[in-house]
Amino acid sequence: MKTILVVVALLVLLALIFVAQYNRLVRLNVSVDEAFAQIEVQLKRRADLIPNLVEVVKGYAAHEKDTFEKVVNARAKATTAITVADVAAADGAMTQALRGLLAVAEGYPDLKASANFLSLQDELSGTENKVSFARQFYNDNVRSLNTVVKTIPTSFFAPLAKVSAREFYEVEDPASRQAPTVKF
Amino acid sequence: MSNFRTLQSANKRKTFLLLAVMGALVWVVVFAALTYAGQSTAGIVPIAVGLALISVWGSYYASDSLVLRMTGARQIVESDNPKLFAVIQEVLIASGLPMPKVAVVEDSAPNAFATGRNPEHAVIAFTTGLLDVMERDELQGVIAHELSHVANRDTLVSAVAATTAGAIAILSDFIMRMMWFGGRRDRESNSNPLLLIFSLLVLILAPIASVLLKSAISRKRESLADATAVQFTRNPTGLRKALEVLAADSTVVQQRSNAVAHIWIESPLDGGNISRLFATHPPIQERIETLRAMESLS
Repeated sequence: MKTILVVVALLVLLALIFVAQYNRLVRLNVSVDEAFAQIEVQLKRRADLIPNLVEVVKGYAAHEKDTFEKVVNARAKATTAITVADVAAADGAMTQALRGLLAVAEGYPDLKASANFLSLQDELSGTENKVSFARQFYNDNVRSLNTVVKTIPTSFFAPLAKVSAREFYEVEDPASRQAPTVKF
Repeated sequence: MSNFRTLQSANKRKTFLLLAVMGALVWVVVFAALTYAGQSTAGIVPIAVGLALISVWGSYYASDSLVLRMTGARQIVESDNPKLFAVIQEVLIASGLPMPKVAVVEDSAPNAFATGRNPEHAVIAFTTGLLDVMERDELQGVIAHELSHVANRDTLVSAVAATTAGAIAILSDFIMRMMWFGGRRDRESNSNPLLLIFSLLVLILAPIASVLLKSAISRKRESLADATAVQFTRNPTGLRKALEVLAADSTVVQQRSNAVAHIWIESPLDGGNISRLFATHPPIQERIETLRAMESLS
């Protein structure tokens, strides 16, 4: 009788541990999804600023067609991206294009002084901050999920919970990737 | 050299250890009480724990509204201070926390605090003095520190610590009073005299020890909040500069109650003459140095 009770107690304990670990994996996986949705929300906010920004710059520098085209193309690409890698690539392209647009604005003092442009620029830099915090939060979540997926004992339950390691959100930034060229 | 992750796990581990020591202390006190006053007094143990629970958990549950009233903080909305809310929203995205209530305390001394029983009932408050002097990145550091308290559930941790310390205090107080009025109940007990002296010492010293442990836990939670703030902002410089502003400013919040002294980012009590062991916050210079070490890492 006693041994049966002990065995039952152990089985219940094991079941509880299993449920706890299983739920932890699922919870972490969901929080990665939520964090990714947050990135998309902030990218959308940034994309929504672009038509106005382009209009304002066009008013002063209509002939900078190349720059405008790059921004509009980047925006179009961003709206169709779905996977993490695609979204990150589109995000990078957009960041680049916007940098180009702001660089163009540097050459037009009237544009830089206009109230419209200043408020848009302000809003854009606020949104950039939010985008970068959303990326960071996503990567923090991926980091904790991946640690749990790869460490014992949760690694045993990961296939059962259909949870696997997730991809980090890495923005390709040509400016920072380029190896410094040394000239003599 | 330690980055914010190692600091976070070290402080979490130390909090856990301190809470475990406090739990062990409760058992030692119960043992001492029963040895000294006799088994017949066993009934006071649940009474002491119950009293401590009632007195602490009511204020824990209603901490958001209670602390607002005790500090005279006034809740504000986004249109009152859009710039402050913009910085708060950034840190919320970085931390994944829901929007807390935001409040302002009319006081020229720069300071801030956070409370609330869970992230859904959190309050963060700033003095007008702090909002006036802080630069944007400093303010971001302060907000991140306060939201770290919310994320780390420090209101819960300090409620647990206060309950344990309270139970120990009530228990020793009961036994001491009983001895004062009636002496030991079962004089026929065949207890070892050494054991009796040990029990008496435990009953005298335990309340002090529990206050020391409670303060130590509070200090660890402050260090943890500093480290978590760096996780949120990835910018130790902002918080470091903010702490330097707080350290350089000698004015102290005119608070209405000492009971809420431990919740501020810079303690209004720990001025010079208080012993390090009883302080609720680590020395501000030490916190600045830790953040500086993190800056040199990045």
